[in-house]
Amino acid sequence: MREWLMRLRDWMRRDRLDAELDEELAFHRAQLERDAVAAGATTDEAAWTARRRLGNTRRVKGDSRARWAIPALDQFAQDVRYAVRGLRRSPGLTAGVVITLALGLGANTAMFGVVDRLLFRAPALLRDPDTAHRVYGFRTRRGTEEVGGVDQYARYRDIERWTHSFSAVAGFAPRELVVGTGDDAREMRVAVVSPSFFGFFEAPPVLGRYFTEAESKPGEAPVAVLSHGMWQTHYGGRHDVVGTALQIGSATYTIIGVAPRGFVGLWEERPPAAFISLTDYAANESKVGGAVWTTYSWGWMSTIVRRKPNVTLAAANADLTNALVRSYEAERLEDPSAPPLAATRPHAVAGSIIEQRGPRSSSDTKVATWVGGVSVIVLLISCANVANLLLARALRRRREIALRVALGVTRRRLLGQLLTESIVLAALGGVVGLGVAHWGGAALRAFLLEKNEAPAGIFDARTVWFAAAAALVVGLLTGLAPLVQATRAQLTSDLRAGARDGSYRSSHTRTALLIGQAALSATLLVGAMLFVRSLRNVEQFRLGYDTDPVLIVGMNARGVALDSARMVALRHRLLDAAKSVPGVESASLQSSVPFWNTRSYQLFVEGIDSVARLGRFRYNSVSPEHFATLGTRVLRGRGVTDEDTPTSPPVMVVSEAMGRALWPGRDPIGQCVRLRFPTAPCRRVVGVTENIQQEDLGEDPGYYYHLPAAQASPQVGGLFVRARGDGRGLRETVRVRLQREMPGAAYVTVTPFSEIVGSEKRSWRLGATMFTAFGALALVIAAVGFYSVIAYDVAQRSHELSVRVALGARARDITRVVVEQGVRFAVAGIALGLGIALLGAQRLQPLLFKQSATDPSVYAGVGVILLVAAIAACVAPARRAVRADPSIALRAD
Amino acid sequence: MATTSKRELLPGTLDMLVLKTLTVQPMHGYGIAQELQRRSREVIRVEEGSLYPALQRMRQKGWIAAEWRQTPNNQRARYYTITRAGRRQLGEQEAGFADLVSAIQQVLGSA
Repeated sequence: MREWLMRLRDWMRRDRLDAELDEELAFHRAQLERDAVAAGATTDEAAWTARRRLGNTRRVKGDSRARWAIPALDQFAQDVRYAVRGLRRSPGLTAGVVITLALGLGANTAMFGVVDRLLFRAPALLRDPDTAHRVYGFRTRRGTEEVGGVDQYARYRDIERWTHSFSAVAGFAPRELVVGTGDDAREMRVAVVSPSFFGFFEAPPVLGRYFTEAESKPGEAPVAVLSHGMWQTHYGGRHDVVGTALQIGSATYTIIGVAPRGFVGLWEERPPAAFISLTDYAANESKVGGAVWTTYSWGWMSTIVRRKPNVTLAAANADLTNALVRSYEAERLEDPSAPPLAATRPHAVAGSIIEQRGPRSSSDTKVATWVGGVSVIVLLISCANVANLLLARALRRRREIALRVALGVTRRRLLGQLLTESIVLAALGGVVGLGVAHWGGAALRAFLLEKNEAPAGIFDARTVWFAAAAALVVGLLTGLAPLVQATRAQLTSDLRAGARDGSYRSSHTRTALLIGQAALSATLLVGAMLFVRSLRNVEQFRLGYDTDPVLIVGMNARGVALDSARMVALRHRLLDAAKSVPGVESASLQSSVPFWNTRSYQLFVEGIDSVARLGRFRYNSVSPEHFATLGTRVLRGRGVTDEDTPTSPPVMVVSEAMGRALWPGRDPIGQCVRLRFPTAPCRRVVGVTENIQQEDLGEDPGYYYHLPAAQASPQVGGLFVRARGDGRGLRETVRVRLQREMPGAAYVTVTPFSEIVGSEKRSWRLGATMFTAFGALALVIAAVGFYSVIAYDVAQRSHELSVRVALGARARDITRVVVEQGVRFAVAGIALGLGIALLGAQRLQPLLFKQSATDPSVYAGVGVILLVAAIAACVAPARRAVRADPSIALRAD
Repeated sequence: MATTSKRELLPGTLDMLVLKTLTVQPMHGYGIAQELQRRSREVIRVEEGSLYPALQRMRQKGWIAAEWRQTPNNQRARYYTITRAGRRQLGEQEAGFADLVSAIQQVLGSA
């Protein structure tokens, strides 16, 4: 091995070694001559003696040179030079191929970076990822099996206690908690973990230590470990940080250590600022009190396990299920009303440590997988395209190749050269593709890994290796067709006819490639159009309120006790403060936020036995500005006004659907509803609003009503703030202004409404953007492919076409011949592609919003677009054929 | 007399002799040739040019290292130095050769 490395090094500096050997031999000869002269010889005799003693220097040089020659490498270098020369001679083709491959490879490299992160890569610093698992529980509820039931602290302890297949069990829960006090208070990701969690990683603290089992027992003083990033940004990396106090959530923690750089636990997309223990978090933030340790009713965390080396996955799963069943039995002892095990049928598996890869994969993951597949199709299209171009080139070089074979070039050498050429092209495409991936990748990551705070590193080693491997495969793939062509070379006929036009013949391989390209583009375009329509449906879907300009303000008292009256006063102070912020259009009080939380009362309406049986009725206690702030339309009657006071007659505003459900066929305005008790005072309906979407897009909006905040729980809830334009820009300004009004350690949180609802729309937007981008890319590549192939065919047929012109064919006839051929290919490809799309439609359906995956208008539209593109691609070559002077083509022979 | 009794080298022994020569001190190709002649009392005579391919081979195997230096006469020459791997190689070859020689002598003696 070492010797070969030496040889390789010598090969690279072989010219210098040659010169050195010459010098060495000259020195030797000079010494011998000097000796001979010293012994009394004449100059001529001395020269002769020296030559005799030195021997045949030509053979010496030859033998030495063999030591640093590597013939295969020489040949390869020669092939590369030859390929580069050839490619430089046809810059148009080279540029076309490189750009096509760069787009295909770039798209794939960028996608790989994302898909790898979502689906394949193990968390950073995780020790031995193959034996680290997350525990997924399954239980049956009302006849259907669902994932869940292992998220309680007591369950985690049970699993730890009753299993024996694992060397370590750890619990964790990522939380958003306010860190710091006063103006510095910020909501940050805090990792709530058991002490055993750290042992899963190869990440010794850079400062201080991690917390121990003894420290994370109920009653111990709370301790925290800072993340490296937090330590650097908030403490400037100071070493005396250990021992200082830090407010996290509602308790004060003592900092005992700092985690190493790059240690983010399992949360690469949102690295934690600090690590605190499960017990400290549960003791300070839970609302269940001392029952935290034993209750099975508070689910809030996850469990990971480390499989012992000799335990199989099946054995581990059986062990886990066993423990889970015992735990469910224990739960039944604590709470006899829990359903029996025969009904819940609990079982557990040790699955992927990344939740998105487990049984509960997110729709982002699904879309990313689809888009990954799509990018591979784009690459296939560009491969087909390039193969076609190279094949055309090989056909054009038939005569040259035949000549070289006749001159004695071995087939092996010839094939090597052709392959080298396509690999050189692919390598160039790969390099340019990395650039494409870099620029395109930034956009891609922004879409696919939104909220990602991890440093952008599209050029990590894995991605570059992937790009290199993909380029090599592409080089081999695209080289295949010309190779086959070259091995079929018919020496005599090729030499005689050469590349001359009389011998035009169509190539089945090229036709197949062309049709394949068109088919794949058609499939992609169908996907793109379906996603675009689906997105349009999402965007146009009326929620019953605006989201983009709206900010949600939440309040957290954090230990500050305020009675009702002071709460009401505080809320109104905040409301006034919010309205005073420049750029704020209006603000209002709210007690609940759609897509976030809900509130409901039991309702009583005359003539209806059980209102609850009709469905769920949710309410929001709002101030008069609410409808303007949220943009909710009042269809009839009025909204809440300043006249609605605690002493005025009680009123409510109902949604359209609610009015129709409670009083079908009658006018809801003026009707009476009693809240909570059948004997409560009559509350009159004074207005009707549009329907309010409360959760999941696309589901039935349900029933909704508004109450005046002055009349119903005025002390509960936060604010809505409407900005001019996008609300996100005002987020921090509003937060800082409102925080000034908060007493003591209490704090406010400000969240853009679009972030809450937007995450619901994200996977649709994602699919639409990606499919459109890749679909457009595929269309461009396929159109270029069509153009080049048709143009080439026309050039090949110029003899035949000239004969036609000479025999009296008109321009129209020539155009028709050329375009007809292109259209025939296109139609075949489109038909095939639409067929493939129809087959895949069923699997795509769940990702679409109110859009049929087999919508005929989409299919027809794609067919038309592709056909137009194909005709456009044929027109230029056809016109060239028409304009060609037949006498030139005919005389060329 | 010395000139009449010159012997061709046994195949495969050149490496060993060169390595042995270099254990004394770093030398250039001419020096090695001179030293071989002197030590064998003019019996061994190699075609001196054939040293060079052998030297290149041993350099690539890592047994010797090469370096350009000034000779005492202030000329530029490439000096070869034996490496640790070269010394190990020399030891093995010497042992192997001794075994071979004694085996040959036994055969010859028993005849």
